[in-house]
Amino acid sequence: MRRTFFTFLTLLVLWVVVVQVNHALAGTHVYLFVGGLFVAYAALQLPLRDGLAAVLLAGLLCDANVPVPFGLHTLLFAAAYAVISNLRDHVPRDETVARVIVALLANLAMFLVFSFALIGRGPVPAAVWPRLIFDLVCSQVFLALVAPWFFALQARTLVLARVERDTLA
Amino acid sequence: MPPKRLDQARPFLTLIVVILGWLIVPVVMKTFARASFFELQAPITVAASYARDLQDYWTLRLHSNDELIEAGRDLARLNATYEESVQQNANLEAEISRLEDLLKLPPYANYRSEYARVVRRDFSGWWQRLVIRKGKNYGITVGAPVIFSGGVVGRVSEVHAYTAEIELISSPGVRLAGVIEGETQPISFQGGINTTFDPPKGVIEFVPLNVFASATMPKKLVTSGLGGVFPPGLSLGTVTKVEPSADGLFKSGEVQLDPRLSSLTEVTVLVPLNPE
Repeated sequence: MRRTFFTFLTLLVLWVVVVQVNHALAGTHVYLFVGGLFVAYAALQLPLRDGLAAVLLAGLLCDANVPVPFGLHTLLFAAAYAVISNLRDHVPRDETVARVIVALLANLAMFLVFSFALIGRGPVPAAVWPRLIFDLVCSQVFLALVAPWFFALQARTLVLARVERDTLA
Repeated sequence: MPPKRLDQARPFLTLIVVILGWLIVPVVMKTFARASFFELQAPITVAASYARDLQDYWTLRLHSNDELIEAGRDLARLNATYEESVQQNANLEAEISRLEDLLKLPPYANYRSEYARVVRRDFSGWWQRLVIRKGKNYGITVGAPVIFSGGVVGRVSEVHAYTAEIELISSPGVRLAGVIEGETQPISFQGGINTTFDPPKGVIEFVPLNVFASATMPKKLVTSGLGGVFPPGLSLGTVTKVEPSADGLFKSGEVQLDPRLSSLTEVTVLVPLNPE
């Protein structure tokens, strides 16, 4: 329960940071999506139940703040969490580079699913793809830059909250 | 100890349980969860917007007295112009109401203007919206039109305790009726083409064949007043392209929206005085 709570707190911090960056970037029509970062650390490092609960809460938080069918983020995060959890014994999950790559791949998959789910609402769906591809590239670059900091933040938070031992961080 | 294969499938079994759980949760609980999660983060985004205002305030404090005196002089000139306009406006309103009484016409929908600061801007390829710092506490209603000095901003899509969400006219979900300025034939407008670094755009359909516009000869698109949500005559954008549609009965085209839409800091919500 404590692990879930503190992990969710770090995800809330990430959400606030991304919202503020998107607010600042709105004038240039660039939008960052970092869904992969919400899932990666929890799926790679935490026990199934605690990590999933934190990720589901983060999904609900994202869903409540955007005009999409309620549950889209939540179910997408849950699916990504299940896939990464299943594969976590096959990746060197204690290495930051491996974690970043997992987050990038998860982000790419979620961005594409999200786009295919929502693109039909526009009057000319094909015309939106160049914009979406540019957003995807920017999101991946941003994610690669902030992921090491965010993973360290999550690890240190769990250590400071005394729910993880220092070695795990 | 569970068999290894079952252990490996645990994440997927949990996912199935989550999906089934989500499907059987009643809509009321989902609605409650959505509202709760929104209100949970609302103070954070509002606090961030206050911090930005404070930042602006300290930036303005750096201006010299000479600059402030000059700005004050400019404002005094503007105020004088506006005072004259207010007087003219009052005379015109009195004239309209006299004519309405005389001809027994139904009165125009009346609105109360509610000015609000923008707390958050989302300008993605999937949706475009704003969150403002006023909500139920100021009587904002869902569907209320939102405007700024450049014309229509959008409409209120959701109202929360202290904030409200506005769907911008550049958003694909917004459809409304417009007319070319000075004409009467209604045209269907929809938002939705927003490329990076370019001004937002919308599309128009069911344009009469006698309407011509191009980038060199643009025409202004304004609200028609049909549907009763937006008052007539508010600027939507500039029609820069029209071409015959596939059926040959109408034309379709592109509307360039105000580039300031994605960097607004303050908007006006027109709250209907007599909501139906």
